[in-house]
Order: sequence, then structure tokens, then C-alpha cells
Amino acid sequence: MLNYIWIALIVIGLLVAVGNDVKDEIQNTYRNGVPLTATFVVQKAPTAQRATWEGELALSAESFGQFYGLKPGESEIRQPVSISTAPSGASTFLMVTGPSSPDHWKEMAKSATSKDKLMGTVQSMKFSADEATAEVEIVFEPIRLVKLKAVTQAALDYAATAVTIAIGLIGIMALWLGVMKVAEEAGLLKVVTRLLAPVTKRLFPDVPTDHPAIGAMIMNIAANMLGLSNAATPLGLKAMEELNRLNPKVGTATNAMVTFLAINTGGLILIPATAIAVRAAAGSSNPGIIIGTSIFGAACATVAGVTAAKLLQRLPRYRKDFEPVSQPGKEGDNG
Amino acid sequence: MGDFFRALINAIAIVAIPLMLFAFLGWGVVKRVKVYEVFVEGAKDGFNVAVRIIPYLVAMLCAIGIFRASGAMELLTTVLAPITNLIGMPAETLPMALMRPLSGSGSLGIMTELMKVHGPDSFIGILASTMYGSSETTFYVLAVYFGSVQVKNTRHAVPAGLIADVCGMLGAVFICRVLFGI
Repeated sequence: MLNYIWIALIVIGLLVAVGNDVKDEIQNTYRNGVPLTATFVVQKAPTAQRATWEGELALSAESFGQFYGLKPGESEIRQPVSISTAPSGASTFLMVTGPSSPDHWKEMAKSATSKDKLMGTVQSMKFSADEATAEVEIVFEPIRLVKLKAVTQAALDYAATAVTIAIGLIGIMALWLGVMKVAEEAGLLKVVTRLLAPVTKRLFPDVPTDHPAIGAMIMNIAANMLGLSNAATPLGLKAMEELNRLNPKVGTATNAMVTFLAINTGGLILIPATAIAVRAAAGSSNPGIIIGTSIFGAACATVAGVTAAKLLQRLPRYRKDFEPVSQPGKEGDNG
Repeated sequence: MGDFFRALINAIAIVAIPLMLFAFLGWGVVKRVKVYEVFVEGAKDGFNVAVRIIPYLVAMLCAIGIFRASGAMELLTTVLAPITNLIGMPAETLPMALMRPLSGSGSLGIMTELMKVHGPDSFIGILASTMYGSSETTFYVLAVYFGSVQVKNTRHAVPAGLIADVCGMLGAVFICRVLFGI
């Protein structure tokens, strides 16, 4: 299943990217080669040392929307820009896009020649009487294959992110694996597992109730519920390692592993701290109002996940993975 | 009541780790375990586990990155919008539901954006934040957990995880409509 989903994500991603680029090309979404008329507000005129005009490009939201065929935004566009005049007379401009730049330009800058910078030529520049402003006609450098470039960049960025995440885990992994080892040697995990044996016996019938895997799983779930994700992942990986010791067929997920992951992907958490923090930052009058609803949603997810795991493991196609090869019909007869 | 519960859980979250460290190591001392030696013995696996995950994480995150960057999410949203309208789920929150199992940072971004546009106390804002809290990043969890033990044949883990996600999202829509419905 993961094989299909994985390849589907990649193939659909590439096809949609090509499709979007073709659409952009046909509709000329980025207005390649079309001159845009705007007002240049002069802030610094060229001096002997510096041959560029520094200032802002001002354009009403309506004309910007009209030019690109977009819904007009709310505020007028003020984009810092520098215009340099070459001795031959041809002028070029350079704008560095920032947080205040229109989204469309930010999008264009992402796939421009140099990242976060848009360049182009100035076709004409007519100064007003006091030389404080000028009416300019500009043509941007051609912007093409935006999505394909974005897809390439994403693949490279995410590969690097994966390594960063893994490396970041090393220290915290070592800490919790060390602590867990001490707890194991001291027999502390046995105490915890004995308390919860009635529950774990049903959830993980294939795992002996006093096995260290049970202890690690309980600790992982407890850490997850408290929102201690730093501790939860190492404990969860420890649990997987212990479950793998019971795995007769290394490389294939056991029923217990799938059930454990179903609980984990349900993500039951008592305080959804991240969501609350974002709500508070957005100025909510009651950021914590979602605690109850989140617990309900996560409980639905967890119950459904565990039920699904338990039901799916009975399907012949998943059962055959752990059937003895010499007696292929035996398990099937019992069910 | 809600505030008290929140304060209690927050307090537990702060003291939990120091308490666990103290209890575990302290119990070890009581049981005459050579705590330092045993700790180091266990900790030395940390590096191997982290490095073992890398290929699985690279494979998963790259595929998700390509999918996200291509604009396929917008396409999927358009296709699925008529179905979600039937169950009373605002179309604006559909990208949130689709992104949640794929990417933690991506869904966080969508949630923040929805709150900026619609306000945190609007129905959409409440639903989006409930959705965020109603599920985990399934594909990330699968890659990391199975990667750490080199499991390649994940059997029914993906369908079970996705069923959990769908039910979590539906549960979020249901409870938000009941409590804060329009």
C-alpha cells in the first residue's frame, strides 16, 4: 500500500506541476513580455558614485489586479525598486521582494534567475515636472516553468530536512534510550506494565504482558497525551525496537506494530498546545475552547484506527504474511 | 473547569520530564543498578536509530514535498469540495484535512492562514484548529517508526492510519457543528 501511495504522490505531483506550467504558459499568467505601467516614486537620484535611481514602484491594487487578471487586493502596491541606466541608454530594474510585496510577485521571484529578486527592463521613464515621480513602463524577465522549478526545489529541500530531523533526534534519542535502559534494569517498567495488563492484553495479544515493549509503548502513549513530543518519539522508537525482537519476519510489520502505530497516528493529546498557541497569537477570545473538541476528534481517530487495524489484520492478504510456509491452508481453515 | 483542567495539564507537562528522570534513575539507584554504566549502554543506540531513519524519512518527505509544491493539493480540493459540502464541512478547511496526515508544518501553516483570514473564533477557525489537534502526521510517524526497525512491508498500517485520519477529521466536523454550528 505504501508503495502505491508513495509513487502516486510523486507521479501526481510531477503531472500536476507540468499541467500547471502549461496552463501558465497558455494564459501567460506572469505576463511575459507585456509592459506594465506604474509610477516610480524617487527617493534617491543617481550621484557621481552611484548610477542607480532608488525608490518605490507605486501601483493601485485595481490596476495590478487588472494587469495580471487577479482579484484586486486591498492596499496599494508599494514595492522598493532600483533602476540603473547603462551608458547605452537601456535601463534595467531590480526589485527585492519582501513580506510587503504582492503575493504574485513573490511567487514569480521564487523561480526568477536569482531567488527573491525580480529583474527586467525599463522601456520608458517619463519624469514629472518636479522630478519626484516618473511614469515607467517595465517588462519583467520571462518567468517560466514555475511549478517544475518549485517541485525540484522542494525535493532537494525536503531531502535536507529529513537529515536535519534525523540528526536532531540523536541526542534526545540517546537520553531517553539511556533512561529507559536504567528503568528496565531496575524492573520499573514491569510495575507499570502489570498495572495496565488488562488493557494491553487486549490491544496487543501477541506481546507478553511483561515484555519491555509494553512498557515502552505505555510510556510513549503517556508522553504523547501530555504533549511531550520530545520524549514521545524516542520512547516510541524504543517500543518499535522491542516489538521487532518479537518479529519472526524482520522487515515486515507485525500486527502489534500496526496497532501501536494506529494509536500513535490517532494523536490523542490532552492539551493541543500548538493549536492553542496559534489561536492565542491570532487574537482569539478563548484559545482553549478547542480542547474538548480536539480530544473528541482524536478519540474518534484513535478508536477508528485501532478498530481498523484489528479488522484489517484478519484479511487474508494481510494474514498470509505471517503464516507458516509449510502449512499454507491451516490459518485459513480456522477463520 | 476548562481553565483548571488546562492549568493542571500544563503543570503536569512541565514537571513530567524532570519527575520521570528522577523517578527512573532514583529507582535504579534503590535497586542497586549501576546507573551510569547502564545509561551509557542504552544511550549508545541513539545514534544508530537516528541514522537508520534517514533513508525512510528522505523517501517520504521528498514525495510529500513534490506533491505539495506542484499545486496538486488545490486540484484535489476542487475535486473533493462537492462531497465535503454535503457533510457541512466548509470548503476552506478541506486543504487542512488533506494536509494533516502529510505534513505537520504544512498543516500548521494552513491553520495559521485560515485564522488570519477568517478569525480564530469563527466556525472555520475553530474547526481548523480542532482538526489540527485531532490527528497526527500519519506519514511522518509511519516513516520514522517503521524506518527505525527497517520495516519495508508495512502491511495494513497505511489503510489503518488513513481510516484514523478520516474519522478524526469527520469527528472534528461533527463535534464543531454540534457545539459551534452555524
